[in-house]
Amino acid sequence: MSRNVSGQSYALTVITPILDGHVPALTEHLEALPEGPASPLARVPGTHLARWVVIDQVKYQGRGQRHRDRLSASRLLFTSNFDGELDPYLETLRTALGEDADAVWGHCRGYPGHQDRAGFADWLRSHALEAALFFAAYGDRTLEQVRADVDKRTRLIAFALGAQGLGAADLKARFMEAFPA
Amino acid sequence: MANVEGRATAITVLTPYKRTGRLLLPIVFWIGRNVTATLKKLQMLSFIHYARWVIVKRFPDGGGGEKLRYPYLMFESNFNGSWDQYIDAFSEVVPARMKGIWGTSYGFPGPIPVEPFKDYIRANEYVANHYYNAYPGSTTTEIISAARVAAALDDLRARAGSLDPDAFKAAYEDMLTAIQRDL
Repeated sequence: MSRNVSGQSYALTVITPILDGHVPALTEHLEALPEGPASPLARVPGTHLARWVVIDQVKYQGRGQRHRDRLSASRLLFTSNFDGELDPYLETLRTALGEDADAVWGHCRGYPGHQDRAGFADWLRSHALEAALFFAAYGDRTLEQVRADVDKRTRLIAFALGAQGLGAADLKARFMEAFPA
Repeated sequence: MANVEGRATAITVLTPYKRTGRLLLPIVFWIGRNVTATLKKLQMLSFIHYARWVIVKRFPDGGGGEKLRYPYLMFESNFNGSWDQYIDAFSEVVPARMKGIWGTSYGFPGPIPVEPFKDYIRANEYVANHYYNAYPGSTTTEIISAARVAAALDDLRARAGSLDPDAFKAAYEDMLTAIQRDL
């Protein structure tokens, strides 16, 4: 099994080179993206937690590290923790992000654009790295299941508070009404 | 800058490691993947949604990748609570594992005492420029509890139709008792 998989969860790690001189514009764009439910990533089904991070340069540790490394190009890191398999997710990413994908990865070298179906997936795949270790606390739960579980818990707490002191017949009737089959 | 989204915090760390890491890290991560105690320990840190470590031997460039003088170790985590609490927990609960993982990285001071460890992580951290969380209101613990509650509720719902009111009331109360810690 892939090291990127835990349960049904997949850890995608993509690192792409940023075009010379594009770091400020890309950074500004990413930081201006709407957050929460308005984030473009909210449109990509099955995405639990994801991020874009500009790696302008690797860091030097000082004393003890003999040589100072330098990346020839800054990098954009994209990670996503999502449901299911990679290929369908990359296609979902392409169609759901659409022009938002271009506005981000268009600052990176060789990006083919979201309208190139095969090119888009190939480009991301060719810049992907495999996890050495992936931990998922609830890797067997899909995003839909998580949301449904949380909703059921909230509704049961409300029901239990409201049902205190009810007789058996009323309790059963209210339960069947509150949690229809 | 967006390392926090709802109740989740993002951490992203990239560190160069020594020649010894080329030998040791594959073993450390093999143990991590194959000896369940490691993942169980992480589960004890019940505030982590997802975490990963990635070995970067070459930085992808569309071709063979860009090789630097040193290989790098990337770490990302999505957790609840404050950054300080998170590093404190790593230092207190899994110090040996932290040493195994970062022990070959240049400049790593060790997981204990915690202040130099925090300084090290802070110095090598990259702040997310955009961070997305599909359930900003939920902690890891709540999500795991909710799965148990939903399973118990579904089970009762499936049986409810065939129970007379008194038997239903008893089953309902048994269910609440069984999941009381998850509510």
